[in-house]
Amino acid sequence: MLAVSGGDECAFAVLYDRYADLVYSASLRVLGDTQLAEDTTQDVFVRLWRRPEAFIADRGRFMSWLMSVTRNRAVDELRSRGRRRKREVAAGGATDDDRPLQVPANSDDDPLGAAQLHEQQALVRKALAELPAEQKVALELAYFGGLTQQEISALLHEPLGTVKTRIRLGMQKLRRSLEDRV
Amino acid sequence: MTRHCLTQEQADEYALGVLDHDVEAEMAAHLRDCDSCLAMVESSKRLAAALALTVPIVRTPPRVRRRVLFATGIFTPGRTGQALRFAPAAAALAAIIVAIAAFSGMLSVRSQVSDLRDQNSALKAQMENVRTQEVELLALTERLSETERRADALQVAANGDRELLVAMMSPQNDVAAVISREPYSSAIGTLVWDEEQKKVWFVASRLRVLGPNETYQLWVNSEGNFYSLGTFNADNSGFARYQTIVPQGLRTYEYAVVTIERAGGAERRSGDSVFVADLLGLRR
Repeated sequence: MLAVSGGDECAFAVLYDRYADLVYSASLRVLGDTQLAEDTTQDVFVRLWRRPEAFIADRGRFMSWLMSVTRNRAVDELRSRGRRRKREVAAGGATDDDRPLQVPANSDDDPLGAAQLHEQQALVRKALAELPAEQKVALELAYFGGLTQQEISALLHEPLGTVKTRIRLGMQKLRRSLEDRV
Repeated sequence: MTRHCLTQEQADEYALGVLDHDVEAEMAAHLRDCDSCLAMVESSKRLAAALALTVPIVRTPPRVRRRVLFATGIFTPGRTGQALRFAPAAAALAAIIVAIAAFSGMLSVRSQVSDLRDQNSALKAQMENVRTQEVELLALTERLSETERRADALQVAANGDRELLVAMMSPQNDVAAVISREPYSSAIGTLVWDEEQKKVWFVASRLRVLGPNETYQLWVNSEGNFYSLGTFNADNSGFARYQTIVPQGLRTYEYAVVTIERAGGAERRSGDSVFVADLLGLRR
């Protein structure tokens, strides 16, 4: 990232190749539309190239920052278009039919980066899988659905306090599981 | 500060973006002034961001890469994009190949040079060995020649001895009495006269070994005159064996005498007498 900040085009290309699939996948998960996911991915990386100083290393890891930016951009896009992925609500996530064809991440060009990424993905998936289903759904609706607690409450027909509790407990458990590991 | 500091629950809610707009704006205002709350929110954001890792990975269409590189100004038409992706690796690979080739070539050349040096050293050693063998062979040849010469000399001597022995044993020949003279009285000698073949043998022992400027010379007296029958020398043991032909024209001879003359022989007898042999008693 330091090289990218210095205008190193090759470093940027490497960075793109390492994280593009993750950014695109997260965008697609939030937006549910390949074209919008492509636009969001492009926007995220172009902003990164033009304003690399937006990433402050002291505040955390680059990947966390990049995922936050991606998620926020995708949710902004989602909200700006007034679309909600209500179809995911009932199932707590996208159905297999809704999801684009999944292929393994390209690890040919950056095997070390891909291996690290796969390791972290496995960690987080395991932690998320250990959550009670209602907490997991609440977190996914919040993070990928871009919904507020009020909207989740209304969507799930659950009291606001219940939704808040589920999110709080879910984050607590995730924090305990992933402390210092993500 | 615009409000009280955040709880962990509020920080998580803020990081997840699940708060209503008004509450979120109020917290954002607080975060601008509160580093501790900001740090807590950043931590919650990192945790929330981890949720993005749970999404199934979908391959980004290649066109997105081109669009991104184009939008950033990095992209150039044609295969530049692809080249950009692979150029460093290709360049590195090419460099490695060139380096390996150069290194291999260098090693090969060094190896060849080393082999040639070894071969050269081996050839030099072989040449030196051949030279040594040549010297040894030459020495052996010389020794062989010397041996052959000695053998020839021995053979000649043996033949001479055999002839002398035959001459002494032959009833046709005469053996003259030889008397040594003072101060050479310890010397002994024998003279054999072969009248038929006109040969004369003189054998002596205990002779003094003469210097390089001296020689023994055999004379024969005929009608008051001395005629030289030749010169000879004793070997290191003081032994001498001399054979010669009786000069033509000599019909009578009274005695023979051996003298010491200058090297090469004298025309006239002048040196001391060593032996005197009476020839008058020989059969004619």
